[in-house]
Amino acid sequence: MSTHASTRRLTPGETLSGVWRFRMLAATLARHHLILKYRNSLLGFVWTLLSPLGSMAVLVLVFSFVVRIDVERYWAFLLSGYFVWVFFGHVVGAGTNLFREYSPLRRSVAFPNEVVILGAGGARLAEFLAELGLIVIVLAIFHHRGVPASFVVLPALIALQALLVFALTLPLATLALLYHDVEHALPIAMGLLFYASPVFYPASMVPEVARPFYMLNPIAGLLTMYHDVLYSGRFPDPGLALLTTATALVLLALGYTYFNRHRGVLPEIA
Amino acid sequence: MTRPAPREALSPGAPEVRVSCRGLSKRFRHFEERVTSLRELIGRRALGHRIPEGRPVFHLEDLSLEVASGEAITIVGGNGSGKSTALRLLAGVYEPTSGTVEIRGRLTAVIELGVGFHPELSGRENIRLYAAVMGMSPRELAGRYERIVEFSGVEPYIDQPLKYYSTGMQARLAFSVAIATEPDVLLVDEVLAVGDFEFRERCIDFFEGFLARGGSLVAVSHDLELVRRLCRRAVWLDRGRVRMDADVESVARAYVDAVGLDRRVLE
Repeated sequence: MSTHASTRRLTPGETLSGVWRFRMLAATLARHHLILKYRNSLLGFVWTLLSPLGSMAVLVLVFSFVVRIDVERYWAFLLSGYFVWVFFGHVVGAGTNLFREYSPLRRSVAFPNEVVILGAGGARLAEFLAELGLIVIVLAIFHHRGVPASFVVLPALIALQALLVFALTLPLATLALLYHDVEHALPIAMGLLFYASPVFYPASMVPEVARPFYMLNPIAGLLTMYHDVLYSGRFPDPGLALLTTATALVLLALGYTYFNRHRGVLPEIA
Repeated sequence: MTRPAPREALSPGAPEVRVSCRGLSKRFRHFEERVTSLRELIGRRALGHRIPEGRPVFHLEDLSLEVASGEAITIVGGNGSGKSTALRLLAGVYEPTSGTVEIRGRLTAVIELGVGFHPELSGRENIRLYAAVMGMSPRELAGRYERIVEFSGVEPYIDQPLKYYSTGMQARLAFSVAIATEPDVLLVDEVLAVGDFEFRERCIDFFEGFLARGGSLVAVSHDLELVRRLCRRAVWLDRGRVRMDADVESVARAYVDAVGLDRRVLE
């Protein structure tokens, strides 16, 4: 017997099994995001690459020739983290409109609403994996002239990245459905975060005293680890890995708590 | 006439109660009246205004139902009478303000036929999407795909984008997927309003088989003829309250009288 429509909170186990039951929905939504984006498009994926490459070219020019950032092969450094940053911007940005976009579905079918975030995020993650594949090849050939052993930890970084972006997007998508302000506030917040994270400068340039606080921003931790692995070819600092995973998990718990508090009322809001 | 392959009969013997709700009520806060911006929130606080929780608008009050296996009931009532709210509560989309819902067995709710369909994607992709929406697993879909396409009758167009399908064809496709979930309990909201005569007969045939196999059906419909063919019991909702709960003939007659229709529509 199933008794549903109860107002009690879901346990983490029930949450997981609910999402698992709709795994095909998440996978199909992701698949359709990709099909719709790339159908009837000759250059397809090239367009996806061009926009971040263009911004990167500007950053390389500015920080190599105007405001000099003293990093050897600055382009390789930038390449190691910039696409990770762009990934966050895309998923979080798209996430704020996601619940509204799927209103008809959410209002007619009882399913864990976070599945639509997994769908859109999953599609973007697939694109990121393709980008990362190219980045790894380019860095191996032109920067390292070989394949550093550190590259083996990339799957762990990707998993952490997926966890973190979900932890951020879930409460933001919920908040955005309740308050339209989020759509306006988010670009400002992302603009600030861009400077508060080591995207175009290495975290080592942050004063030593401030760095523990700086690294409380899990995106900063994640980007630093990408720089270590991809650019420097060394394994990430275990302490930083632990801290970043911990902050990501805390964010996930907070995000889910907020989402769960509104879970019951979400299907009523178009 | 093709129909989904018969499935093993549900437990024989005394009819089991599959849908049961007691004292089901739903009050909505009117979200349009809710504060939806920070400016408003701060503004109201600053002006000392109480933030309104919203007044209840469409609502449902104290609905109690039991549907046994092999039984079909219909919910009738005018627009805004709470029919769809009742189905959404039974389906678990909405959380009730008070009351309980119990469902035994697999539930499939078709509250909006083809919801989630994407016009730019092929029929094949939309089958996959709708199956996923209905909570089917990849394995279930793989085993039932051929049957879905066959029942829908849209096979020649299956790789065309859905935007080239007529409304009726889209409804056929969606309904075929919905019944392929092989539910024990089926909740449907006006699903047969758009199909052609042949598909309508095919669906009625399906519903009859479904009930004979011990399924339970809750249907919202304005189609009195259909309702009388399938259901023995009807619940009439009027502004969120049960106005009548009786055999389908009495309810249909009273409903037709009340809305001022000519009784000949029932003949």
